[in-house]
Amino acid sequence: MATEERHNPFATAQPAGDGTTLDQQERERLRAQPLWRVRLKLLAGTLWNNWKLFTENKIGLIGLAIILFYAGLALAHPLLMGRVWDPLIYDPVIGFDPLAAPHPAPPSAQHWLGTDPLGRDVLSQLMFSTASEFILGMVAALITVTIGTSIGALAAYFGGWIDTFFMRLADLVITLPAIVLLIVLGGLFTLDLPLLALVIGILSGFGATTVIIKSQALTIKVRTYVEAARVAGGSHWHIILRHIIPNLLPLTFLYMMFTVTDAIFAEAILSYFGLLNIRMSWGLMIHTTQSAGYLLNFQTWWLIVPPGLSITLLCAAFYLVGRALDEVVNPRLRKR
Amino acid sequence: MARYIAQRLLQIILTFFLFLALSYMLLEAMPGDFSQLFLQDPKLTLAQREAIAASLGLNRPPHERFFRYIGSFLRGDLGVSFQYYPRPVVDVILERAPRTLMLFISSTVVSFYVGFFVGKLLAWRRGRVLEYITTVGGVTLYTVFTPWFGLLMIWLFAFTLDWFPIGKFITPRLWRDAPVEANVVFNRMLLTALVVSIVLLTWFILTRRIDTRRRRVVHWGGMGLGLTVVVGIWGASGLGPYALNILHHLMLPVLTLTLISFAGTMLLTRNSMLETLREDYITTARAKGLPEKVIRDKHAARNAMLPVVTSLVFSLAFALSGGVITEGVFSWPGMGEVLLTSAVVQDIPMMMGALIFTAIFALLAHLVVDILYAFLDPRIRYG
Amino acid sequence: MSETILRVENLTMHYTTRAGIVSAVDDVSFTLDEGESLGLVGESGCGKTSVANSLLKLLADNAVIKGGQIRFKGTDFVPLSEEEMRPYRWRNISMVFQAAMNSLNPVYRVGDQIIEALETHLGLYSHAQARQRVTELFTMVGLDPALMDQYPHEYSGGMRQRAVIAMALSCNPDLVIADEPTTALDVIVQDALLRQLKTLQEMIGMSMIYISHDIAVIAEVSDRIGVMYAGKLVELASADEIFHHPVHPYTVALMSAFPSVTGPKRELQTLAGEPPNLLYPPSGCRFHPRCPFATEICRQQEPEFKDHGGGHYAACWHPQEVTA
Repeated sequence: MATEERHNPFATAQPAGDGTTLDQQERERLRAQPLWRVRLKLLAGTLWNNWKLFTENKIGLIGLAIILFYAGLALAHPLLMGRVWDPLIYDPVIGFDPLAAPHPAPPSAQHWLGTDPLGRDVLSQLMFSTASEFILGMVAALITVTIGTSIGALAAYFGGWIDTFFMRLADLVITLPAIVLLIVLGGLFTLDLPLLALVIGILSGFGATTVIIKSQALTIKVRTYVEAARVAGGSHWHIILRHIIPNLLPLTFLYMMFTVTDAIFAEAILSYFGLLNIRMSWGLMIHTTQSAGYLLNFQTWWLIVPPGLSITLLCAAFYLVGRALDEVVNPRLRKR
Repeated sequence: MARYIAQRLLQIILTFFLFLALSYMLLEAMPGDFSQLFLQDPKLTLAQREAIAASLGLNRPPHERFFRYIGSFLRGDLGVSFQYYPRPVVDVILERAPRTLMLFISSTVVSFYVGFFVGKLLAWRRGRVLEYITTVGGVTLYTVFTPWFGLLMIWLFAFTLDWFPIGKFITPRLWRDAPVEANVVFNRMLLTALVVSIVLLTWFILTRRIDTRRRRVVHWGGMGLGLTVVVGIWGASGLGPYALNILHHLMLPVLTLTLISFAGTMLLTRNSMLETLREDYITTARAKGLPEKVIRDKHAARNAMLPVVTSLVFSLAFALSGGVITEGVFSWPGMGEVLLTSAVVQDIPMMMGALIFTAIFALLAHLVVDILYAFLDPRIRYG
Repeated sequence: MSETILRVENLTMHYTTRAGIVSAVDDVSFTLDEGESLGLVGESGCGKTSVANSLLKLLADNAVIKGGQIRFKGTDFVPLSEEEMRPYRWRNISMVFQAAMNSLNPVYRVGDQIIEALETHLGLYSHAQARQRVTELFTMVGLDPALMDQYPHEYSGGMRQRAVIAMALSCNPDLVIADEPTTALDVIVQDALLRQLKTLQEMIGMSMIYISHDIAVIAEVSDRIGVMYAGKLVELASADEIFHHPVHPYTVALMSAFPSVTGPKRELQTLAGEPPNLLYPPSGCRFHPRCPFATEICRQQEPEFKDHGGGHYAACWHPQEVTA
């Protein structure tokens, strides 16, 4: 039977797009630009979009505001110590103010948050500790995400016994309470701040972070552009470094926030129980208060409220920022 | 299902031995050696020290020491505590473990239930303001500095309002004329709780098939009956007031621990519910004309529960840590408290004993959660 | 003499999204008699599922019925609250959803989920009696009654579909809405299921609204066919009329776009362009950008949905005279 040629009246209808000339011009313009410029523009665009999404949820902004406030405190301390404050009186560890006796002294014009039982200025202690808290958090977080990302990516990519081993290890790390382990470590060794950061970083790195990053890496591994890269002859390392890890970065960044929370909290607990060898921290401030017997004394509120509140606020702030980032990274959580 | 449990048990045993090996290496890594701590007497001569080291087997090759370590563990010998000399570590553990168990189990059950309940309701009724308050409030509770919070609770409820005792486990005054030891009463309480739970569970399972109208009466009636029986037995034994005293001391620590832990469950339940509510079977449930509460509880919450139970594994560690801190703050004489004191005074055997106990407990709890999850999700059971 | 059980008049439904208002259903009217089966056909996104959801007031949070009436046996559903709608759902009108794979709750046994409907609407509390009824239903849809104690994940795709149909029939509804029930299945299962549905419908004497984008499927099951495009009902007539005398150009295009096994071999004629974005629907007749017969009036004014003779409704300024 011969195929009947029938005029299709519908095929002549104009598609709704614009003419092709505009497209051609766009394309020429794009090709003229250097590649790095284009990439930068795309990155800026993505960052701006993500910022908009982040700020939609006011919670993230609150967290960010608190973090910036404390960052300001940390930066202000060395400035104050040199110019405005007399080191002999205001040094957070060895300062002493004979005029404000008896210690602990309530807040006054010279000591905005009063003095602690050893005669040191509370505000100065607070500000000085902030810097160490930040550093502790950042270092621990960096170690965690480095370990977590590399192990997660490797486990996802190579599978097999590498995968099983690290997942079993992660299982063990997750099951055991970190604080308990840290207490034991504090009892066996003398922990100071850098060592603590290292330990926390390693513990978190091999734990939940690895599991979550691995599952994310798995979803990236099966995407078509990875297959395309492999077909095009990309080596294992090329694929891991160029494709998988960059796509893991948002999730990585997110977990950095949670690690900072955990690190600050853990340090505070250990200092409070006197298990850390550290010059000054918020936990240590509360510990000092307790050893001197002022812990349940609500008259001397300035001894426990500032450090306790700061711990909570800063931990909560990082956590809130992490949650807000979660909505940026994980589109399913967004409201329509 | 049985195969699944057997598999998991095997995994746990393997993991535990890995853990033992790691903890042993930790001990070895400690600066100085054990004999130095064992007898910190500077007047000992070098020869005497070496003799002590030999008697402790410290001059043997490392692998031999390791096997002795494992061997001792399997025989139940965890060494002798420094601070409670000459009580063996195992003895202290057996005495204190039930107290920690009680604290932990009560607070975990309550915080899970409360967190789930509140999270479920919050997801069902959405609203910007409510969400902000819950998230911020929840996060604050979650990250509050535990010792500080505990002390606040003590100050408020024990000190100011005088509703609860300040700490510890019993009121000595009351117990001076007690016929039995506190631990006996305590262990009996634990046993009662266990028996009652099992009986209630069996009752619920047996009466599953009764129609919905009468099922509620049957369930609540059964619970009421059970509780009356329990109270009756305790009253008759004369140990009632002592048990009540312990319960009274238990309440504030449980309340504190619950308040700190429930926020995590609540936030997670809320998110999980929100995702579940988008599923097709929820639309079907609506189309079937089912009442709101049924859709929310029977259909949505039941499915939303699954990721929350999975995450229970993570929050277990958090709850355990919280438990240790709470015991410290309230001087609740459990395993957590002894861990803390041991770390401070460097009572190494006791500390390691507490660590091993914690590890076993954590692993078993993990197993329970896994079983619970398999029980809740038929796709795992009959997968 | 079969009476009209459903009368939909000027139904309009909107979705409010972040980008604006999507007019998903605009001024749709049709009737349904007892025992009749109506097929709704159209491209993805043309509003047929939205119409189905509106009938039972199963609206998403951001959806609202802007106007019109949905009269079921005289009662208008539109002003009713969720509480008031409940007795009608499933008991009078039930639904078989699209991709029924996920319509069943994975943690409960299939039988128990059907029994739940029986308890709620028929007051059937006796477990034995309920199981009896489920056995009847399963046999009716061609499932082994022993399967009722198993979980949804243990069923195959076709079995799950049958179970969902059994559930929809459980309370003896007057009307069953089937939204693409066979789309996710392979053709052999599809064929068997369609036959079963047709038999069931005739056996029970219920009305059916069958929704699909597959015109071949619609042809098999429907007495009357409604063609939807971009949220509007553009043509409504008996199945025979739609196939042999399509009036609206869109329907004509649909008829030309699928091959006939028995007819002469001809080149498949497809329709250029895409359905419009319902955020900014075209002015006048929503089909005019793709219509080769469009003139100025099509761009300016919406055509009226009127009878072109013998119960054959269409909304077009240039009705076609095609005999196929």
